[in-house]
Amino acid sequence: MSSEIETWSISLGIARRDLLDLWRAKMLLFAFILMPILLMSMFGYMFPPTQKANPLAGNIPTSYPNLPVALVVQDSGEVANDVSAQFIQIAHSQKLFQVSESPSYQAARDQLIRGQISGIVVIPDGFTAGIRAGKQAVVQVTVDETNPQVAGVVRGELSTIFTMISSNMSARYVQEMMGNTVDPSFVLEPISISGVPLIQGTSSSFQFLAPGFMALTVVTGALSGVAAAISREKEQGTMDGLLVSPIPRRAVITGKIMSQTVRGLIQGFLILGLSMMLFGVRIYGNPVIMLLVMLLGVASFVGVGIILTAIAPEQETAMMIMMLLQFPMMFLSGILFPISQLPQWMQWIGEALPLYYATDALRKVMILNAGLDVIIPDLAVLILYSIVTMTAAIPLFEKAMTR
Amino acid sequence: MTMERGELHSVSDASIVMQGTETHAVHLASGPVFPESGYARYGASDHAIETHRLTKRFNSFTAVDHIDLSVERGEIYGFLGPNGAGKSTTIRMLCTLLTPTSGTAKVAGYDIAHKANEVRKKIGLVSEKLIMYPRLTAVENLMFFGRLYGIDRDALRKRADELLDMVKLTEFKDKLVGGYSSGMRQRINVIRALLHDPEIIFLDEPTTMLDPQSTRFVRDIVKELKEMGHTVVLTTHIMEEADELSDRVCIIDHGRIMATDTPQALKDKYHTNSLLEVFLTLTGRELRDSASDHIPMRRVMGRM
Repeated sequence: MSSEIETWSISLGIARRDLLDLWRAKMLLFAFILMPILLMSMFGYMFPPTQKANPLAGNIPTSYPNLPVALVVQDSGEVANDVSAQFIQIAHSQKLFQVSESPSYQAARDQLIRGQISGIVVIPDGFTAGIRAGKQAVVQVTVDETNPQVAGVVRGELSTIFTMISSNMSARYVQEMMGNTVDPSFVLEPISISGVPLIQGTSSSFQFLAPGFMALTVVTGALSGVAAAISREKEQGTMDGLLVSPIPRRAVITGKIMSQTVRGLIQGFLILGLSMMLFGVRIYGNPVIMLLVMLLGVASFVGVGIILTAIAPEQETAMMIMMLLQFPMMFLSGILFPISQLPQWMQWIGEALPLYYATDALRKVMILNAGLDVIIPDLAVLILYSIVTMTAAIPLFEKAMTR
Repeated sequence: MTMERGELHSVSDASIVMQGTETHAVHLASGPVFPESGYARYGASDHAIETHRLTKRFNSFTAVDHIDLSVERGEIYGFLGPNGAGKSTTIRMLCTLLTPTSGTAKVAGYDIAHKANEVRKKIGLVSEKLIMYPRLTAVENLMFFGRLYGIDRDALRKRADELLDMVKLTEFKDKLVGGYSSGMRQRINVIRALLHDPEIIFLDEPTTMLDPQSTRFVRDIVKELKEMGHTVVLTTHIMEEADELSDRVCIIDHGRIMATDTPQALKDKYHTNSLLEVFLTLTGRELRDSASDHIPMRRVMGRM
């Protein structure tokens, strides 16, 4: 028992030394802190928050605010003027579009070809007359097809705006025709849906991404960090100083794992803090369970790192193999998007990766306030991975050190 | 505290006593690190190190080929050989840093394969590489490595201060080791290996790249270690150094022992007054260039 305590004490000493080393390596520390900030800022602004995602309530979410569009009003009638005024008002108030009026479709088209605008809205001649005659009027839309993603957004948002304008008009006509005897919305839309949020408050796409990034940072930090730390000590000679002393080999490994885990957790919580401050991410679950998930995530991966370090001939090869693992893991583990979007064979690979389970569990705890009972299957996989990989890794490491 | 040539001391009453041939364990505040001292440390064995047909192969390359070594307790044993002769591999096996392919070895009376941890308690390694963390101060480094030997924190601090004083580094003890000069680095590298008062000290090219003053200082330390009763295994390419310091030398080449004797006996045998001549006679005068398309990276860089 006392020797166990001694071993842990030595491991703690090794971990403390590693962290002191990081603290004193100012440039490394700078990069260490900057990395999660960069990661989060980049992805945060690439996948910006889409708050109050409820168009039916008059709120239209957008990932691309204030896109420039041209409005061409070819009809001088009262309804056309009213519709174009409503369009400009909604577009501006919701910060969806920066609308500029264009004298002709041709002029607007030139602007679009030059890349100055993303879409054209035309209220054609005869618009007012059509409506007055009780016929459905048509608004023509042209979008910049060279950017399919933006084109889709413009088309979708224009459609939503004109649905809103159209509904308002219909409600007015219904009221004119039927007075107050009936609710206009009943005539227009007898059945509607009402979104009951799964979690309280506002939600954003980033709420989905943040747990994934946290898991990714912590886990990959452990995967490559332990390997790099061991390789560095081996190459600079200090590993000999550790190995020639009468301490169990696993104390060295445990110490390295501890320091790399702390480093990973610091980065993980930096990511969380930034996500909360800048991108409105909230934690709905128990932070202790979150920590447990992250620690198990580390445990499931660290063995893989040690095995690679033990079998690779030198540091460069080990790091290259780790990169090879990390890169596809980002896409296959459901961090950026649900893996159900992927082909079946890719889903199978994703489901074989422990990061998938760590991300899933962390997301459930963070967003859905899931308890341990809900994430037990995820935790079981992580524990199984930890046992299998560590069982193989520690003897391999001990052998590799004296081979 | 000052140290004259040939007089390595530093120690207070609670530490190493180095006068004459008296040899003592390191008596620290919490008690001795190793209760036995001097020759008594080795128990029944007459030898500090004994190997029997010790062999190490890396794939098809035989680095050490069935060597039988016998290092007597309390002697300075010069272990010489050209580059690639097998010196470092042998020392790494004796320090339990490499597993032998075959053969056996006992260090301080303990089998290196089955009692590795006991061996580790009894040895100190001064590698040609600096076994120190550059971003830690001298004191922090010594405290870190000392703790690995289970030495009590207070006793260790005292011991570190004494050793730093011994190698005249007290003034720089709170400076980062990364900023040390080569001579200072090697001096602290030596005392790191002495923290736990080991019985056997392996010195792997301790004076390479040092200026004459630092070289002299390190050689004096080696002599004093012998006077304190330590066994010293010294590898060096400097024949003058081996001649001056060693009680016996062993010349190894191609993983095999070519000769073992006192420097004088070897010089007499080969009718020369230069150990370098003996060395060249036994190992050849041609350059040892070799190159292969297959780089044995594991051998060059280690497994990690």
